[in-house]
Amino acid sequence: MRIEISGLTKTYRGGVAALDGLDLVVPTGMFGLLGANGAGKTTLMRILAGLVQPTSGRVTVGGHDLSTGAGRTAVQRGLGYLPQDLGVYPDLTARQFLDYLALLKGMDDRTARRRRIGELLEVVALTGDADRRLRGFSGGMRQRVGIAQALLADPQLLIVDEPTAGLDPEERIRFRTLLAQFAGRRTVLLSTHIVDDVAQTCREVAVLSRGRLIFRGTVEELTHRARGRVWSVVTDGPPPAEGTVVSALPHEGGMRYRVVAPASPAPQARPVEPALEDGYLALTAR
Amino acid sequence: MTGQTASTLGASLRYEFRMQFRKRSVWIVPALTVALFLLIGGSLLRDLFDPGERPAEARSAVVGLAVQVHALLSIGYGCLLADRLIRDDGLRVAPILDATPARPGARLAGKYLGAGAATAVPILAVYFGLAAAYAVHTGAPHALGWALATCAVVIVPGLLFVAAFALTVPLIMPAPLFRVIFVGYWLWGNVVAPDMMPTLARTLIHPLGGYPLDALLDFHGIDGDDTLAGPVPGATLNVLRPDPTPATAWLSIAVLLVLAAAALAGGHAVRARRA
Amino acid sequence: MTLWWYEARRAGWAALLGPPIAVTLGVSAAFANPQPGDTTTARILLGALEMAVPLAAGVGCASLVGRDPAVELQLAAPTPYRVTLLRRMAVTLAWAAMVAGLTAAVLIATGWWARWPANHGPFAGQLTWAAPTVGLGAVGFAAGAVFRSPAAAGALVTTLWTIQQFFAEPAQQHLPGRLLYLFATTRGAVPGDWTGNRLALLGTAATLVALTLVLLARSERLIGEEEE
Repeated sequence: MRIEISGLTKTYRGGVAALDGLDLVVPTGMFGLLGANGAGKTTLMRILAGLVQPTSGRVTVGGHDLSTGAGRTAVQRGLGYLPQDLGVYPDLTARQFLDYLALLKGMDDRTARRRRIGELLEVVALTGDADRRLRGFSGGMRQRVGIAQALLADPQLLIVDEPTAGLDPEERIRFRTLLAQFAGRRTVLLSTHIVDDVAQTCREVAVLSRGRLIFRGTVEELTHRARGRVWSVVTDGPPPAEGTVVSALPHEGGMRYRVVAPASPAPQARPVEPALEDGYLALTAR
Repeated sequence: MTGQTASTLGASLRYEFRMQFRKRSVWIVPALTVALFLLIGGSLLRDLFDPGERPAEARSAVVGLAVQVHALLSIGYGCLLADRLIRDDGLRVAPILDATPARPGARLAGKYLGAGAATAVPILAVYFGLAAAYAVHTGAPHALGWALATCAVVIVPGLLFVAAFALTVPLIMPAPLFRVIFVGYWLWGNVVAPDMMPTLARTLIHPLGGYPLDALLDFHGIDGDDTLAGPVPGATLNVLRPDPTPATAWLSIAVLLVLAAAALAGGHAVRARRA
Repeated sequence: MTLWWYEARRAGWAALLGPPIAVTLGVSAAFANPQPGDTTTARILLGALEMAVPLAAGVGCASLVGRDPAVELQLAAPTPYRVTLLRRMAVTLAWAAMVAGLTAAVLIATGWWARWPANHGPFAGQLTWAAPTVGLGAVGFAAGAVFRSPAAAGALVTTLWTIQQFFAEPAQQHLPGRLLYLFATTRGAVPGDWTGNRLALLGTAATLVALTLVLLARSERLIGEEEE
């Protein structure tokens, strides 16, 4: 499902512009969406999921125009959505919760529904806890239920907003792999703060800042933005004043700083190979 | 009270007041209530400004006004407060608050007084606004003195009583169910005639303030022929209806405040057990 | 059927417990009368149906909007959320109707129904509880959609109910007030207006629900905007 966005603007009450004339095309496959808090990622996700109406602009998903009721419903029939702040019904068991949402997604065939729920519970490793009430679930377990509900109707478009928040490292890796395998001919839009999740799963990425698109290209191209700008500085003094410190590690009586800066931040600094996170910082620090 | 407890109480009171004061519904609900009241004829609200209809005495006018305002606006008051304590769990701030060194009892008291006071502001604004308009309209400034006295011995104890139960009872039942039961109670415990069925109306446990109205404010209805407190021939629960005197009036106020404190203590215990 | 079962659970405990508790309290009040008189007792019994059941249903319907923890998932589903909310309202009212209908059947069978002179018979007389239940339910549903706060919507429903209780006479002084008076069977001022009153309540309810569904189409209002 190809997503085409042109001139998309969303202004909330009080004049807060969450999106400001956004133009973006999202092709089939995994696509990463990066941006700081308040960049407009969640608003974009909500518009694509049909929850929020844009103030102006045009969005089509798989050729369906989201500004019409019929278009929204058509998109929602093939949509899997995992919101950033996932709410569940604590009095239902995981199996009942998935069953209820499957019914709302129009999966009326009881046998097929039960089979699909069983499969997904297996995929998210919750088969043993399927008949426990969600009230007693940990944050990570709830997130896995959220992932399962997003995949229920075998969606053509999967929108996931901060999906790995609350997952332990093993779960995170498993979920990333699951998403990448799932993508295939479908579209998976992954919005996250965790740059590494994008680095490990997406070929293409967009970066939003203050409601505007400031980058769209491949992961390699974004990484390349930091070439010649990433430095390793070993010092027993204060961190370099210039640039953005990416990491700080103890090192033989001092500290080793990884810094993204347009020019050498200290006399003893030596250039190092950039990673995607450096590219992102080089882009947004401008 | 230690310095820490006082500081917790003060901070909780101040911020609970602010949060509740900013809620639009705290203002919209009383405004709609007054609008509905005026729409159906407004009885005393209308009569207060009609020289042919209003009570002869300023005291009867403003005390009668207090009875109507209190009886009517306290319903919304109780319903609006019914989610304030359970809200902390819903908003997931309870664990953060519980992890602070602040004493839970002081936090509860601050929430009770702060949220209760903020929700009472529109009610008091309506009452004193109308009382002031009446005082100006009739050239009777002493009406405001009676309004203050009525507020102190009738409205404030009644609202303190309602607020304590509205905050704590939803800990043991769903808030909507509390609202239904509270309204039923309000009608049954304040208005129903004691000779019709067993009721707390006209007893010492009467949040509309029958005893203070009768014995402290010498109010016997707008027309002066109502009995608001004391024994009723043939009624049950007359043991709770001593003759109205200033002493029993103060006792009635004390009973309301003790019951409010007991409700808060119960709520505090329920929360402590669940923690 | 399964979907309706889930919606019944979402309507909440208050919607389930409210009507039977309200009827129980009303019936207890009727038989706790220390000076028994058939007409008075019958009036309180019918009053339990005409007053207590609508109050419970109204507050139940007022609590449907604004407290759904999974509202984002609901809004992203192809089933319109307003249809889901309408189902929850239907479940709430149907349960109240079942409790009221059973109680009415017992009152008819035991003769208490007929002892209230203005009972309007066993069939049309069911509008005694049906019209105010649907009317106050619609007010609650609409107020919930406008405020997105069960506390505010519940406060409005209970206040409206109380005003009509406390000021029954002024509320029925003029025809529009009489037509919208909730308790026309047990506290009606003009018996001839009863049928018109019941139909007016049902018509107003239908209009309110229709307007509420239009309002609920704006899904954006429902996301994270509950007034806390």
